[in-house]
Amino acid sequence: MKGRFYKGAILLLLAAPVITLLGFDKISNKMISDFSLRNTDSRYVSLKDYPDAKGFIIVFTCNHCPFAKLYPPRLNDLNQKYKPLGVPLLAISSTDTIVYEEDTYPMMVAKAKKEHFNFPYLFDEMQAVAKNFQAQKTPHAFVIWKENGRWEVKYSGAIDDNGAEPDKVKNRYAANAVDALLGGKEVPIKETKSIGCQINFRPLPASPKER
Amino acid sequence: MLLRNLFAGAILLLLSFNSYGQYNTLHIPDTLSGTTFNLNIRDTFVQFRPGNQTITAGINGAFWGPTLFLNKGDSVYMNVHNFHNDTTTLHWHGMHLPAVMDGGPHQTIPPGTIWQPYWKVTNNAATFWYHPHLHMKTEEQLAAGLGGFIIIRDAVEAALPLPRTYGVDDLPLVLTSRSFDASNAFIHVSPYGDYMLVNGTMNPQVSLPKQYVRLRILNAELERGYNLGFSDNRTFYVIGNDGGLLDAPVPVTRVKLLVGERVEILVNLGSDAIGSGVDLEAFNAGMPFGFPGSEPSTTGAFGSLLNNINFPILHINVAAATAGAITALPAVLVTNTYLTAADATVTRTLNVTDGTPGGPGGPGTPFYFDHTPFALATINKTVDLNTVEMWSVTNNNVFGHSFHIHDIQFKILSRSSGPVNSYESGWKDTYYLGVNETVTFVAKFSDYADDIHPFMYHCHMAPHEDGGLMGQFVVKDATGVATTKQPGDFTIYPNPANNRVYVLLADPAMQVYYITITNAVGRTMYMLPRPQLAGGIDVSNFAPGVYLMQLTDEQTKKTIVKRFVKE
Repeated sequence: MKGRFYKGAILLLLAAPVITLLGFDKISNKMISDFSLRNTDSRYVSLKDYPDAKGFIIVFTCNHCPFAKLYPPRLNDLNQKYKPLGVPLLAISSTDTIVYEEDTYPMMVAKAKKEHFNFPYLFDEMQAVAKNFQAQKTPHAFVIWKENGRWEVKYSGAIDDNGAEPDKVKNRYAANAVDALLGGKEVPIKETKSIGCQINFRPLPASPKER
Repeated sequence: MLLRNLFAGAILLLLSFNSYGQYNTLHIPDTLSGTTFNLNIRDTFVQFRPGNQTITAGINGAFWGPTLFLNKGDSVYMNVHNFHNDTTTLHWHGMHLPAVMDGGPHQTIPPGTIWQPYWKVTNNAATFWYHPHLHMKTEEQLAAGLGGFIIIRDAVEAALPLPRTYGVDDLPLVLTSRSFDASNAFIHVSPYGDYMLVNGTMNPQVSLPKQYVRLRILNAELERGYNLGFSDNRTFYVIGNDGGLLDAPVPVTRVKLLVGERVEILVNLGSDAIGSGVDLEAFNAGMPFGFPGSEPSTTGAFGSLLNNINFPILHINVAAATAGAITALPAVLVTNTYLTAADATVTRTLNVTDGTPGGPGGPGTPFYFDHTPFALATINKTVDLNTVEMWSVTNNNVFGHSFHIHDIQFKILSRSSGPVNSYESGWKDTYYLGVNETVTFVAKFSDYADDIHPFMYHCHMAPHEDGGLMGQFVVKDATGVATTKQPGDFTIYPNPANNRVYVLLADPAMQVYYITITNAVGRTMYMLPRPQLAGGIDVSNFAPGVYLMQLTDEQTKKTIVKRFVKE
C-alpha cells in the first residue's frame, strides 16, 4: 500500500507539480522541545542560548556519509546569511557511532576544524534529538520557528534539490522556507524527502517497566 | 485514482520513449586482480538522471562494484569491510568453496566489521558474481547496488582463440532495472523497475570493434527475466554457461536469461559496416504469463513500463577492428566430462508449493519448497561428502522461478516441458523453472564438509527468496571422526598488544573454525573464518582499549572467549 501511495504521488509530480505540493503537508504544527548537546568546542548548546533567534535551520548530518560530505560549504553559506537575520544554523550528528567510528566526537572536532564550520556541530550521542525531530537521513534539514514561545517545525526535508551539482540547484528548499518565514509568508514547500544515508537508531535497552 | 495513474502513466511512457534517443556511454566496472581483494561496502550515490543524485550502496563506492579477476588454482583472500548501515553478507555466486566462506545468510557481516573469507579457486574459467545474501534483506540490498562480477581465468581458456581484452572485445554486462521517484530516489513499488540499467548505465551505448566480440551477460535483476537477442535477429553463439565454457559454440537467435544466470556469447560484428549500429534487445513481448516480466500491467504491485514489451538493452556502435582481432568462430572449445543420471546414487525431489496469485491489492502469499518456509535454524537436507545426487525440482504452481543451488555446478538432465535448451547444455548453477515444469539435474558434492554452516538452494528472484522459497543443506563427511571432546584452550600474546596479536593453541593439532574480535562497546572488529594464524592478526588500526576474542574450535565447535588489551 505504501508503495502504491508513492507511485501515485510521483506520477502526479511529473504530471502536475502544483498538485503534489498539497500531498506533502503532514509536518506542520509539530513542536520541538529544547535540547542540550555538546559542540565541537566542548561547550553545550541549547536553543535557549539564542534568546533573539526567530528560528533555526537544524541540519542533521554526519562525517561519514558521502552525500552529507557535499554540503559543508552550503551550510556555511546558509549560516553566514541567515544568522544575522535571526535564524542561525545548528548541525547535529546523530548517527550510530558504534557502527561509524568516523562519526565519533573526536572525528567531529577534526571535521569542524578542517571544513571551517562557522556554525555549531553538535554531538547527539544518545540519538534522542534526532528521534524528537524524526530525522531520517544525513543530511536532513529542519526549519523551526518560534510560535508563542514554542518551536514549531515549518520545513522538513532536503536542503536543496541537487547534492553533487550545487550550480544546478533549482530549488533551495530550506533557504526558501526561511525567506518565506522572515517575510511573514506561508512556507511554499513544507516537506520534501530528505536524501542521504539512513540514520539508524540503536535499539534502546528494555526499560525496567518492560521487564 | 485509477484514472490519474493511467494518465500519469501515459506521460511517463512518453518520457521513457523519448529518453531512448539520448545514449549514455556504457560504464565498464573497474577491475581488481591478484590474490588479496579489499572490498568496502559503502553508501554512495549515482547521477542516474538529470537533477538530484540517487542514493545507492556500492562495493568500493560504485553502484555496481569492481570486477574481480581470479586465477584457477590461486588461493584468494577477501577483506570485506562493511561500512554500510545494515548487517549484510557477501556471497560468491557459483563458486565451489567451504560453506563457512560462502557468504550466505549465516555468514553475516555486522556494520563496521571486517570479514575475511578465503579459499582456493577450483572453478573453471567462467563468469561468476558476488552479491548480498542476508535473509529477508536480499532484495533491498541488491536493489541498492551491492554486487559485482567475478571472472575466473584458467590455462585452458587462455589457450583458446577467444576475445578476452576486458572492456574492448570482452564486455561484462549486468542487467537490472530500477524505478525512480520525483527526487530521483529508487522506489520499490514492484520487483520490476521502469528503467533498464546496464552496468548501472541508463540508455547505454558502446563502441565495439568490427570483429567477434564476447559479451558476459548476467541477469542481476530482482525478478525480471530477459529473452535476449539482437535487433536484426542475427545469430550469435553461446560459448559459456554459469560454470564454464561449453564443448563448442551453440548458435542461437534467442536466449532466456533468468535472475542469477550468466551466459557468455560471441557475436560477429565483422560483417557490419563501421558506423552502423545494432541493439542487444529484450524480446519480452508476448512471453507467457509466469515468465517474470510478462505481466501486462505498467503500474501496481507487479507493474513496470518494461513489462511484456520488447525493449533495447544496449546500443552497439560498430567501430574499426582492433589489432589481433578474433575474426573466426572457434569450432571447439573445451572437453567437458558431464555427469549422467547413471552416476547418481541419491535422488531427491523438491516441489514449489504455496504462493497464491497476487490480486489487485498486491502480492500474494509467499512460495515455499514442500510447504516449508525457510528457517535459519532448520537444515532441510543433509548430503554425504563426495556423493553424486540427482535433484528434480517441480513447479506445478502459478509462476516461474529461477532455481539456484550453492557450492556446486550441475548438469541439467531433463526438462519436462521439452528438450533441454541447447544454450544451457553446460555447467549450470541457476536455471529457469517454468510453470508446470520439472527440471532434473545431477551434481557431485565434493571437497568441503561442514556440519555447522549450511549451503543454500533457493529461487534467485529476490522477493521469492526473501519470502521463504529457500532451503539449506549441509555436506557431511561421514568418515570424519571427532578426536577431542574438550574445546581447545588458547592464549593471546603479546598482551597488551601493539600491532599484531598472536594466538597460541594449547594443543598444536587443534584447528580454529572461527575467530570473532569485538571491542568494549560491542562493535565487531573482525570475523575470521578458519583464520591462518601464523602471521598473527593485525590490530594496528584498533583504538586503544579492551577487546574480546571468541575462538571456536573446529572439532568441538565450542567457543572460548579471552580478553586482550590494545595499547
